[in-house]
Amino acid sequence: MSIALRGVAKQFGEFAAVENIDLDVPTGALIALLGPSGCGKTTLLRIIAGLETPDEGQVLFDGRDATLWPIRDRNVGFVFQHYALFRHMSVFENVAFGLKVKPRRERPAPKEIQNKVRSLLELVQLGWAGDRYPAQLSGGQRQRVALARALAVDPDVLLLDEPFGALDSQVRHELRRWLRRLHDELHFTSIFVTHDQQEAIEVADTIVVLNRGRIEQSGAPGEVYDMPTSAFVHRFLGQVNELPVQMRGGRAYLGPIDISPAADHPPGAPDDIALIRPHEIEIGPEESGWPATVVAVRVIGPIVRLELCAEGQPPPERLEAEVSRERYEDERFGVGQKVGLRFRRWQVYSANGAAA
Amino acid sequence: MGAADVRGAGHSGAPGRLLLMTGALLFLALFLVLPLLVVFAQALAKGAGAYFAAISDPMAWAAVKLTLTVAAIAVPCNLVFGVTAAWAIAKFEFRGKSTLITLIDLPFAVSPVIAGLVFILLFGSHGWFGGYLRLHHIRVIFAVPGIVLATIFVTFPFIARELIPVMQAQGREDEETALSLGATGWQTFWRVTLPNIRWGLLYGVLLCNARAMGEFGAVSVVSGHVRGLTNTMPLHVEILYNEYNYSAAFAVASLLALLALITLAGKSFLEWRQPELRRAAAPAHDRTRREKT
Repeated sequence: MSIALRGVAKQFGEFAAVENIDLDVPTGALIALLGPSGCGKTTLLRIIAGLETPDEGQVLFDGRDATLWPIRDRNVGFVFQHYALFRHMSVFENVAFGLKVKPRRERPAPKEIQNKVRSLLELVQLGWAGDRYPAQLSGGQRQRVALARALAVDPDVLLLDEPFGALDSQVRHELRRWLRRLHDELHFTSIFVTHDQQEAIEVADTIVVLNRGRIEQSGAPGEVYDMPTSAFVHRFLGQVNELPVQMRGGRAYLGPIDISPAADHPPGAPDDIALIRPHEIEIGPEESGWPATVVAVRVIGPIVRLELCAEGQPPPERLEAEVSRERYEDERFGVGQKVGLRFRRWQVYSANGAAA
Repeated sequence: MGAADVRGAGHSGAPGRLLLMTGALLFLALFLVLPLLVVFAQALAKGAGAYFAAISDPMAWAAVKLTLTVAAIAVPCNLVFGVTAAWAIAKFEFRGKSTLITLIDLPFAVSPVIAGLVFILLFGSHGWFGGYLRLHHIRVIFAVPGIVLATIFVTFPFIARELIPVMQAQGREDEETALSLGATGWQTFWRVTLPNIRWGLLYGVLLCNARAMGEFGAVSVVSGHVRGLTNTMPLHVEILYNEYNYSAAFAVASLLALLALITLAGKSFLEWRQPELRRAAAPAHDRTRREKT
C-alpha cells in the first residue's frame, strides 16, 4: 500500500509538532523518519497510524483519503519503542491477539490461529518461547514478539516508533539487519522513526530528515549523507568540523587553505561556514598543508580519531580527523606531533544554514 | 556491586536493621494485633453461649444484613465510577481534569459528619428536595437510600485513587496497540485494560468495601438509628455499648472484624492461586512514559 501525506499539520497547544508536511511513500518502500527529539517524527508516524488526527491536511492510503479512518480500519502494524507487550498474556497469546479479536466471520479457526502464530514465532526465531511471559524475555526478544504480533494481522503498512531505541548496541545491530531482511522477504511498506542516523542509513531505502516539524531533506541514504542541502542535515548525519570561511582579497580561505578555486562554490559572504567530516581531512607532513599539532589520539577499532589544534585556531577549538588503523600503524601519529592538514571535501553554508 | 556491599553501604548496619524491624513489629503488635485480640477476647468474655446469643439476636442480624446490602450497592457503584474516572484522567487530556481530581478527593477532605448533614439538607423533610420526596412518598433520610447515598459519598475516592496512578504509569501504549491490531474499544477494555489494572482494582474494591461496612459518622447522621431497620453494624455496636451491654457490643464488633479478615484472606487466596498473574502485576521496570516528539 502506498501512503501519501498532503499538507499535514498538527499542533499541541501552542507547540507546532508538524507543519505542512508532504510525503510520498511508495508501496513496498522502507522509509526512515530521522530527526532530533522534538522534531515531530513520532507525531507524523502516529498521524499515519491514526493515533493522532492532523489539524490540517490529508493522509492518503492508496490514493484514498484515510485522514479520519479509525486506527483499527487502517490495517497498520504499530511497534512501540518499549514493546507494549500485554504483560498478562503469554508470548503466544500476545501474537494471537490480533487474530482472536477479529469479528467472528473473519476470525480464523483455532487450529489456523495456532499454526499462524507458530510460524510467526519461528520467523522471529522465538519458536521456543510461546509459553513464556514477556517479563521472562530480554529486550531484543520482546521487540521481536512485538513485531510478530504486529505481523499477525497481515498489515499493509508496518510503522515502528524507535523500535530499537531501548536495546543495547549489539542487539540493535542484529535486529536492524534482521528487519531489513524481513522487509525484503515480505514486501510490506514500512516507516520507522529513529534519531540514530547510522540506523537510518543502514536500514532504510529513503531517509526523511525532519527538523522542527518540517522536512529538511529526503532521499537515498548515500545521497542525503553526501549531498546535504543544509547545515542541519550535514551536522545531523554524522560528525562534522566547522570552520569559518575567511575572505581575504576577494578569495575564500579556511585557515591558510584557499578554497575559492572550486567552481561550484561562489565567493561567499563574511559569515559563511564550511563543514568538513573527520574522514575528509587528510593528514600529511607539516609542510604539506595547514600546520597543526596532534593533541589526542584515540583508537576505535578499525579507525583512529585524532584531535588536532590547527595553527591560528583559538585554543579550545579542535579539529577531529579520522584515519584508518593501517595508516595509523604506518605513521604512528603521537601527541604533540606537528602535521599538515588538507581537506579532501568540504561544503560551505551561509550563516542561516542554507547550502552556499 | 555485590549484595553484601549494598547491605553494608547504608549507615545502619545489622544492629540498626534489627532496631528498625523490632520497632515496626512492636508498633504493629501494639496498635493492630492487640486491639483485634481484645475485640475477640471481650466478645467471648462471657462464654461461647453468650456470644452466639448476642450474634443471633434478630436486631444484630438485621444490622448485618443492612451492612452487607449497603456495601453490595455502594461498592459496585463506586467500582463503575472509579474505573470510568481513572480511565478518563489517566488516558486523556481534557479541560477541567485537575478540578475533577480535586473533586474526587473531596470525601477524604470533608468530615463524614458533614457529608451526612449535606444529605439531610438535600433530602431531609425541610431540605431542597424534601417537599417533592414527601409528595411522592419516597423516604431517603432515616431510611436505607440515605444510608446508601452517604456510604457512596464517603467511599467514593477509594477505587479511583487506587487506579489513577496505576493507569497513568501504564500509559496508553497497550490500548493503542490493541486498537491497531483491530480490537474494538470494548475488547480493548476487557482484554487489555482490565487485566492490567486488576490488582489495583482489587485493592481499591477491598478498601472501599472495608470502609463501606465500617462507616460510622455519615451513616449515623442519616440513619435515624431505627433498630432492626436502619441500624448498620457499627451503629448497632455503638447502641449496645451505650447500653453497657459490652459482651454483645464486642460480639457484633468481632463479626465486623471477621468480615474484614475474610476479605483480606480472599485477596491472599486469589494471589496465591495465580502466581503468574502476580508476577505480571509487578510494576514493569522497562516502561517509561513515552516522550512526545
